[in-house]
Amino acid sequence: MSVLQSRPALRWLVPTGAALAIIGGGAAVGTFASAAEPNLPERSAAQLLVDLQTAHLDGLSGTVIKRADLGLPSLPGIGGRGSAELTSLVSGTHTLRVWHAGPDQTRVALLGTLGETDVIRNGKDVWIWDSQANKAQHTTLDESGPTGRPDHLPTTPQEAAEQALAAVDPSTEVRVGRSASVAGRDVYELVLEPRDATSLVGQITIAIDAVEHVPLRFQVVPQGTSKPAFEVAFTRVDFERPDPAQFAFNPPPGAVVTEGTRPEGRPALPTGVEQPTVVGSGWTSVLAAKVPQLAGTTNAETDGAEANLLRGLLGGLPEVNGEWGSGRLVTGKLFTALLTDDGKVFVGAVKPERLYEVAQSNR
Amino acid sequence: MSAVDAPRLPEASVRSGRPGRARFFRSELRFFRSELKLVFGRRRNQAGMAALAAVPVIIAIAVRVTEGPTETGQDPGFFSAISGNGFFVALAALGAELGLFLPIAVAAISGDSVAGEANLGTLRYLLTVPVGRTRLLAVKYGAVVVFSATVTLLVAAVGLAAGLLLFGGGPVTLLSGAQVSLAEGLLRLLGVCAYLTVGLCALGAVGLFVSTLTEQPMGATIATTMLSVTSFVLDSIPQLDWLHPYLLTHYWSAFVELLRDPVALDALRPGLLSALAYGVVFLTAAWARFGGRDVSN
Repeated sequence: MSVLQSRPALRWLVPTGAALAIIGGGAAVGTFASAAEPNLPERSAAQLLVDLQTAHLDGLSGTVIKRADLGLPSLPGIGGRGSAELTSLVSGTHTLRVWHAGPDQTRVALLGTLGETDVIRNGKDVWIWDSQANKAQHTTLDESGPTGRPDHLPTTPQEAAEQALAAVDPSTEVRVGRSASVAGRDVYELVLEPRDATSLVGQITIAIDAVEHVPLRFQVVPQGTSKPAFEVAFTRVDFERPDPAQFAFNPPPGAVVTEGTRPEGRPALPTGVEQPTVVGSGWTSVLAAKVPQLAGTTNAETDGAEANLLRGLLGGLPEVNGEWGSGRLVTGKLFTALLTDDGKVFVGAVKPERLYEVAQSNR
Repeated sequence: MSAVDAPRLPEASVRSGRPGRARFFRSELRFFRSELKLVFGRRRNQAGMAALAAVPVIIAIAVRVTEGPTETGQDPGFFSAISGNGFFVALAALGAELGLFLPIAVAAISGDSVAGEANLGTLRYLLTVPVGRTRLLAVKYGAVVVFSATVTLLVAAVGLAAGLLLFGGGPVTLLSGAQVSLAEGLLRLLGVCAYLTVGLCALGAVGLFVSTLTEQPMGATIATTMLSVTSFVLDSIPQLDWLHPYLLTHYWSAFVELLRDPVALDALRPGLLSALAYGVVFLTAAWARFGGRDVSN
């Protein structure tokens, strides 16, 4: 104390030390967690795929973080942190909590800053609960009916992995990456790499629990980077069978309950729009559609607020042209879209050159 | 200025010699009590607390008056649940005041703690008697902690009283759609208050540090308030998401985790750790600054 009294400046060592210790400690924990490469017995990619398919999961609960950084221009009202709406899942960072006790008992809760959306399946009953709207939607499933999932965005690593594996075909190189640690558990990493160089997807990695054979992390890494543009990962996982009470849902009094009818088929397309077609296959398939309304909106031919808004949106996009014609290009990290001036739209997880190629052959 | 602003001499410590342990604690307690009396006895602090307590009453009355089916798709936080259960007035009020009112109150007390004494010229007197500077800071911060807890509980209690009076109580619907008894709801509300108090105490630590930098209590208060507001603003800019986990106020809204079913206590941990980190760094910084500072007023 006497030293501190005679040289008060020395006191500053304490807060500085504390700050450094906290920052350094935090950084060290993060570094060790990501650098730790557990020593696991070797396993081939085929073995891992079989593990995945034969995994017998008694029950699971945990917290899932979903990050999407697709390089989209930020649209008002879509995505972002803190929103508890299911449609917001397309971009931003979200936290979900999942419970799973067999195929007919699952619950996914999308946590918002001040709300929560739950999708609960218990036997034949599917409930979608939206706390902010105070609405509950109930659907009864047929024997063989699909789940009442409201959209096709993967919400758990399992679903994400299944969707990715369905896309595996000779166009893909499948190998085993380095072992890692996810949510405190040792995992194998299955790496899928498109062989086609025009694909924007660099690789897809699926981290598979070494003991339970359950996917714990799913990442899509764009070509030319190592930072995932899309990631679904457990941050906490527990393989105990969750309490059956988690799956029982009774709409609270005062909530608006709707008996849901599952939307039959696809949503109707606006008039004048043809059913889109898929050109090519595998990683480089391109979706082609005709949207006559788009034609001319980039010029000042049409009037009205809608056209003005559209013109404003499109006007900011880079103009491109070539033998295939001219149009505007939207580029994200994992997809490219081409809007031609004659009202055609081409979208794919491919580089622009591939879209020009398709546009040329679709003239 | 009222009588409580006069220099307070912790008389027990004036006595020379080595005081016994019990006597030491007694003198400590007396010092702490006199500090609390100063904080809670000031007219301006009482007026501030009255303003904080008015917000839940206004919310309850406003919802009561405009009662009816409100077609709001998006609820900023618990407002739509109020008409069904008065319990939610407390939560709506806490949520509404968390952004500005509660931080201002804590910033005012902590910013005033040292700078206020310096400004009035009483700091000199406090230090002429052998009150250790560390001890003085500890007592000042202790009062900030008590004040943070008091205002949080005050808002919740007034909200609860107003809500139950105007809307009645009943089982509480959690965010997950499950219902719990009112008693468990109250327990969770208490947990929310405790969690928010921890966050406000971290802000209080920053305020105490700022207060040792200046002799202008208003300056310290405004600087601390600005810091909290800036933190909220930065937290709402999605492009800065790499910065968000380090912001003082980032985890405050995690109090809603206590209103889910089941409660994931590990979701509260980052907020508590962040508050602890801020507390440690800024309290030691306040100690370093105050210990080495020349006190002329």
